Amino acid sequence: MSKVLEIKNLYKEFGEGDTKVEALKDVSIEIKKGEFILIVGSSGSGKSTLLNMIGLLDRPTRGQLVIDGIETSDLDDNQVSLFRNKKLGFIFQFSNLLSDLSILENTMLPRKIAKKTENLVSEAKELLKIMGLEEQLDKLPTKISGGQLQRAAIARGLINNPSIVLADEPTGNLDSETAKTIVQLMKTMAKKFDQTFIVVTHDRDQFGEVDRIITISDGRAFEADNTEMEVMVK
Amino acid sequence: MDYRITVAKKMLLSKKGSLLGAVLAIGVGILVISIITVIFLGLQNAIIRDLKIYQFGDLMVTDETGLIDKSDQLIIGWFESNSRVIGATPRLTSSTDIEIRKDGELIELFGVPIIGVDPLRDPTVSELHKTVAEGEFVNSRNSIVVGSVVAEDLGGIQVGETLKLIITNRVDEEQTEFFVVNGISKTPGGTGLDSNLIMPIDTLRDLIDRPEETGNFIVKLTDPDYSQEIKELFLLSFSNDDFEVKTTQEAGRDIIRNFSSALGMFTLIGYVGLMSSAFAIITIQMMLISSKTRDIGILRSIGTRRKDVLIIFIIQGLIIGLIGASVGTAFGLAFTTYAKVTNMSFAGSLELEVEYDFASTFSTALTAFTLAVFASIYPAYKATKLQPLEAMRGV
Repeated sequence: MSKVLEIKNLYKEFGEGDTKVEALKDVSIEIKKGEFILIVGSSGSGKSTLLNMIGLLDRPTRGQLVIDGIETSDLDDNQVSLFRNKKLGFIFQFSNLLSDLSILENTMLPRKIAKKTENLVSEAKELLKIMGLEEQLDKLPTKISGGQLQRAAIARGLINNPSIVLADEPTGNLDSETAKTIVQLMKTMAKKFDQTFIVVTHDRDQFGEVDRIITISDGRAFEADNTEMEVMVK
Repeated sequence: MDYRITVAKKMLLSKKGSLLGAVLAIGVGILVISIITVIFLGLQNAIIRDLKIYQFGDLMVTDETGLIDKSDQLIIGWFESNSRVIGATPRLTSSTDIEIRKDGELIELFGVPIIGVDPLRDPTVSELHKTVAEGEFVNSRNSIVVGSVVAEDLGGIQVGETLKLIITNRVDEEQTEFFVVNGISKTPGGTGLDSNLIMPIDTLRDLIDRPEETGNFIVKLTDPDYSQEIKELFLLSFSNDDFEVKTTQEAGRDIIRNFSSALGMFTLIGYVGLMSSAFAIITIQMMLISSKTRDIGILRSIGTRRKDVLIIFIIQGLIIGLIGASVGTAFGLAFTTYAKVTNMSFAGSLELEVEYDFASTFSTALTAFTLAVFASIYPAYKATKLQPLEAMRGV
């Protein structure tokens, strides 16, 4: 399997002088295409910071971040936007759909930004059907439930066939039953589309068996197999 | 449809109050300019219209020396031989002193302009005879029509009463003559000869001892568009004389100039008002952007570039400008139509002569539209400065 993500000696510092905080310290990770990765860690450990770096929503202080063979630190703001659009899909804790667009319009948005509109409506509808949202296409995000919102967010994250889907606490705002459904959907999608998923969560148990688990602790990344991780979390 | 247009439109429509405020800011600005234009141009046109029908005609012939010594028949005959001329009539102006006495004692003496008209020809060329509000137009040698302002100065002189006039002739001899007041002349806005006395031209010629002289001829045409052509023909025919011929526009040039300058000044005030509408749009859009910070963050996170964010909010400016300019233009045209249909006048003054001025309407709408677009640039630029993470956390 080819590498989709390569992080080398990544550092992220906030503040200066006495107030300087090292959120990430010498993080090095490699992720292959199609892997379902969990990033776990306690609150404030730096896991969301790492995800923001991978999503190019924030810039590292130093280190290398290579996605699909492209060194991202050389990209300017315009290129970063285009890169985010083409290579990355996002699922946020609060779904973050545009409140004024319908579920279908929200889903289609990344492809419209990319100007890849051929068969877009039918593909978006198909994706939303898989997500069980075929009855909600024209509804506004304020008119559907939290679980449905997250399913729509997953559809939006997948519509552009990105290299990596990044999910930041995607079940953090859901009840346990809905959370299970969302996790199952993400896993199904990962398998169906051979899609790389990197999921930040504080609740590792919800995800069951995954390809790899990366633990962030005090800004450093550790990797362990599932068994070790379970022991560690307990 | 381009996603930027969809997002811009939907974001704007979700804030209907802001959209309405911005549209009204532009619309009312255009309406104010329309009202100013309708009133000032309407007043200017009304005054020119009235001066034309009472005093200037379509053409007014004068002489550089001040008086025309050619016979009426010659001049009128020349004009009336042209099929595009309805008629021509002579006029002569002078002044008179009026004495107001009580028990034989002089209380007040004041000068009044006096105008001599041809009682038969004048009604075919001008509408001066229609300004007679009480009584009749001059119809006999010693009949006189008194302007309403003069009548008031004379303590409310009535039709049928006698008026004694003292007029100095060309050799400085005082001529005293008694006249019967045949009518009182009154025009809306005083654009007629309300401050004059009107008497038969032959009577006036005798009184001032200028039996063959004329102050001016006024000419009415079948179509005022021929005025320049007939003016040139006349001057060519009488090239050895010192005639001057003015079209209505030339005769009213000073009035037009004064109104144009007043209109320019008030329109400028209107445009300053429109500028304040632009500031209202800036404020409204800044509020809109503030309320949509999270959405901007989401858009940026899924790949919208800064320049696309700029375009989204400039499109909103375009939408506001387009709707505002359309609404304002509709209001303006509605007001113009109302003023035209009702022959709008204020407190019984002259009726406005309202014309649709589509060029001015279009330029005002275009200015308003452009201002709205320019006003959206700064808020749009501010929106591009939002970082996706901070913007999404902003809520």
